[in-house]
Amino acid sequence: MAYPSHTSDDTFFVESDEPCQQQQQRINMRDAAKMIARNKQEMIANELSRLAGDEYLEDIMQHMRHMEDETLPDANLIDMQREIQWFMRPYLIDFLIEAHAAFSLLPETLFLTVNLLDRYCSKRVVYKQHYQLVGCAALLIAAKYGDKKDRVPQINELNNMCCGLYDAGMFTQMEMHVLNTLDWNIGHPTVDFFTQLIVAEERDTREVEHMAAYICEIALYHRDFVSTKPSIMARASLALGRAILGKPEVNDGEWDHVENVTLLTLSQHLHQPSVTLSRKYSSTYYSRVSAKLADFLAQQAAIARRGAPPSPPCESALTSKPANVYSTPHKGLGAVPGVADGYMTPPITPDGACFGQMKEYQIVPPRCPLTPTPPPTHHVSYPQQHHMAAGPSYFEGSQAHMAY
Amino acid sequence: MAKPSAFQQLEKLGEGTYATVYKGRNRQTGELVALKEIHLDSEEGTPSTAIREISLMKELKHENILSLVDVIHTENKLMLVSEFMDMDLKKYMDTRGGDRGQLDPATIKSFVYQLLRGIAYCHEKRILHRDLKPQNLLISKHGVLKLADFGLARAFGIPVNTFSAEVVTLWYRAPDVLLGSRTYNTSIDIWSIGCIMAEMFTGRPLFPGTTNEDELKRIFRLLGTPSERTWPGISHLPEYKPQTTVYPAQDLAQVLPQIDPLGIDLLKGMLQLRPEKRISAADALRHAWFYDLPQVRAQAQLLQQQQLHQQAQMARTYGGTVQGNQTGY
Repeated sequence: MAYPSHTSDDTFFVESDEPCQQQQQRINMRDAAKMIARNKQEMIANELSRLAGDEYLEDIMQHMRHMEDETLPDANLIDMQREIQWFMRPYLIDFLIEAHAAFSLLPETLFLTVNLLDRYCSKRVVYKQHYQLVGCAALLIAAKYGDKKDRVPQINELNNMCCGLYDAGMFTQMEMHVLNTLDWNIGHPTVDFFTQLIVAEERDTREVEHMAAYICEIALYHRDFVSTKPSIMARASLALGRAILGKPEVNDGEWDHVENVTLLTLSQHLHQPSVTLSRKYSSTYYSRVSAKLADFLAQQAAIARRGAPPSPPCESALTSKPANVYSTPHKGLGAVPGVADGYMTPPITPDGACFGQMKEYQIVPPRCPLTPTPPPTHHVSYPQQHHMAAGPSYFEGSQAHMAY
Repeated sequence: MAKPSAFQQLEKLGEGTYATVYKGRNRQTGELVALKEIHLDSEEGTPSTAIREISLMKELKHENILSLVDVIHTENKLMLVSEFMDMDLKKYMDTRGGDRGQLDPATIKSFVYQLLRGIAYCHEKRILHRDLKPQNLLISKHGVLKLADFGLARAFGIPVNTFSAEVVTLWYRAPDVLLGSRTYNTSIDIWSIGCIMAEMFTGRPLFPGTTNEDELKRIFRLLGTPSERTWPGISHLPEYKPQTTVYPAQDLAQVLPQIDPLGIDLLKGMLQLRPEKRISAADALRHAWFYDLPQVRAQAQLLQQQQLHQQAQMARTYGGTVQGNQTGY
């Protein structure tokens, strides 16, 4: 008993306190037992992995490197798309990241989804009103390939997330179309296949792993990494993650030119990540790495300011230009340097905007209740104007309908 | 991609949970094929089993794995066109086996070897079959064995990911999976191969359990009831229940007198209760039991010749025999 009782009031507390404590103890015991069981299982799993690794790692790596080459999207071919533009892609990625989280799919499913999407877009002309549908089909296929059956999204759920933009039959049709276009070659070594290997080898902490995952998902938003090999991305994101978290460098052999360039380019794209994404990584489950990255960048900026006051802006590796994910430089339209440099709007998908509005000629109104926003006009011709204004969401449901 | 009309549909060969298999003939070439028809659900689209099976089979090109020739898609069904095989191992044992369905030792050795080669190849490509059983092993009239039905197969990672425990037909399911382990690995396929090997010798399934618990009981009755001492961590597996009767391990050689001592040694390696103790497919292929197989002997001879050749070459390069090089160059 915690304290001797003097008054009836005390007794009341003591009485109510005791069962509570017992309960807590019981829960703790149960938690402890569960944790021991989990640890034991993890130990067995590690032993199994080590054995499989010893025997097959070399063969598997060889196969994975081959597959990696076979299943790399071609950003140059995506450039040639007439309707869909690079500035639209971050909205779709936001949508896919939210949908992926809403269905609690495996981490690799997200990377596979984006890989399938980009591979499809490297091969077929995609109308902008179908861009989200292709994304949904890719998510569906990726989930069916890797996730447990009961986690695979139902088509009506996906349809709801798109606010009924498409007929239910269009999902299955597009799914088959993507499968046939990709010749049913769905297996693709995602970045986390390689990350897991390196993490096990270098004994990186969970925190480093989460930071690297965050960086890899930031990279999903940018054209620069569409055709980057996942194995290179894994190595670069882990090295960057360790540096950001102040962990010592690891001695993991030579870095070739492409790997160095990837590392540098990655470090230049960490500013103003998507709000959707940084929110995902703000949870304790992900070691709150988005806040840690923001702190780190602020610190770097402060150092840079002190180092070279007051101007010109310092061009250090980690504090150079802000990520300009919306520009479509290949079209010769969006590459207005002044605007790009001054652009400070993060790639947000404001509440209340609706993808449906993009279909200017469609009469069907969006089914989901949304706060009206002025529809974007001429955003295709003047992409830079579009993000100067409050960016409307091209993919409805991104935020309004998918609370985690 | 061919049109469905490119193939003439002949008799039904079998029916699975999600597909029907027909014999077929290529109208142009007259070549026999197997046509696996998968019904497409208009609600959920392409079944995940089909997505996995097709995409994984496309990665696997090996003489001991059924090759996928084409995928034909129509409005409401999907047709997988693969090479035609005469029968599956189950039927082979029923028709060609002895009075009880048992096969002769030479055939068994060849089949086990081919089965291990096929699965070693899958594992090298980070793919688990997860449903090895006689019905899924196809035999050609020339005695070639091929793995088929990759509907339950999937890719694994290193370190291993967690999987569903709802895999493999009960009789061929490994004890760690029966105990609810979800971090199984390549060893899950090896257990099945062990069961199949024993079945070929006796003509009877080794552990024909009726339920999960009955299956475990049958396994423990033969191989001994494991304890935390013989299998550290077992009591933490989700489905573990302390067994009421503790069986001692039996001598496999006495239970299966048909199998020679070397074969028993290999079987023991495959039927280890603890997954991490189970032999790998690659190691199993190097087992002495296979030394008298013609193809293994030929390979060994080739290797020996290569070594001799290398020695001779080295001797020439260094101007003397290899042993003689202490005299200096």
